Amino acid sequence: MSSLMLLAQVAAGEVGSGRIQGGWGYVWASYGITWGALTLYALSLWLRRPKNSPVGPKE
Amino acid sequence: MFILTTAVLPGVILILLLTVGRKYAHLTLPVYALITLGIGHGVGLFVAPPDREMGDVQRIMYAHVPAVWSALVALVINFGCSVAYLFNPSWKTDSLAEASAEVGLLFGAVGVLLGSIWGKPTWGVYWTWDPRLTTAAIMLVAYMGYLALRRFVEDPEKRATWSSVVGIIAAVDLPIIWFSVKWWRSLHQVQSSPKTTDVAFQLPLRLSSYAFLALAALFIIHRYRIAMSERKAEVALPEALPTDAQANRTAGVM
Repeated sequence: MSSLMLLAQVAAGEVGSGRIQGGWGYVWASYGITWGALTLYALSLWLRRPKNSPVGPKE
Repeated sequence: MFILTTAVLPGVILILLLTVGRKYAHLTLPVYALITLGIGHGVGLFVAPPDREMGDVQRIMYAHVPAVWSALVALVINFGCSVAYLFNPSWKTDSLAEASAEVGLLFGAVGVLLGSIWGKPTWGVYWTWDPRLTTAAIMLVAYMGYLALRRFVEDPEKRATWSSVVGIIAAVDLPIIWFSVKWWRSLHQVQSSPKTTDVAFQLPLRLSSYAFLALAALFIIHRYRIAMSERKAEVALPEALPTDAQANRTAGVM
């Protein structure tokens, strides 16, 4: 893992910041949409969960 | 060692959770997904270097690519279940088909939306009728139609049969999506995979992909349970009926 971090730092120094400058707004929008969509879908599954629990021996 | 820790080990753990430990998958998969997603997206956003051409915008790859991969895996499961249902009708395969289509559509929609956002700073437009984008859009429309069909047909057996046929027809698009960037070299770049990306991008890409696969599996498991519950209520399987109702039915009261 530490070798990867070192590799990443070396690579960052070699390529600079790339030809396209900035763009963090697009990045955060993408991650926000992703995390939001996954969270909302998980919530929808929880709300739709089967209500009828298995019938126990006493019922 | 790098390959072992980023590619082999998380993959083996995920397979073990889905096979040997499947009884507890509803508990272990969220933990696995959160850890791998936290590391994958954390490294992707804050540690991985910017791309030589795309700069920091390239970081969208760690969400876009895993989303599309997970969508394709889920929709291939839908295809397998559709074929299996036609040969051997079963509510289990029908429910799994429904679950995998919905989850595949979710991840596919996220993937296409993120691709569109990525396109703006790199291509200058949110959307263009590039072969990859067009076939991905066809996929979304096809599986929205699949789920709409399931909603509108009331007879469970007809619904299962018809949706299996639609699932098989819709799956024709899946290999076309995958190979579109190879067959028609257009605006979209070739697949971003560990083979085509720099080694510095591989850890976040692999871990994010495992996280998304775990989430897709978890969602399919829960959606499958919902679908099975609905099927049982619809067809009133004898084992789903209360004991006294079953006795009344046998006696011809109902």
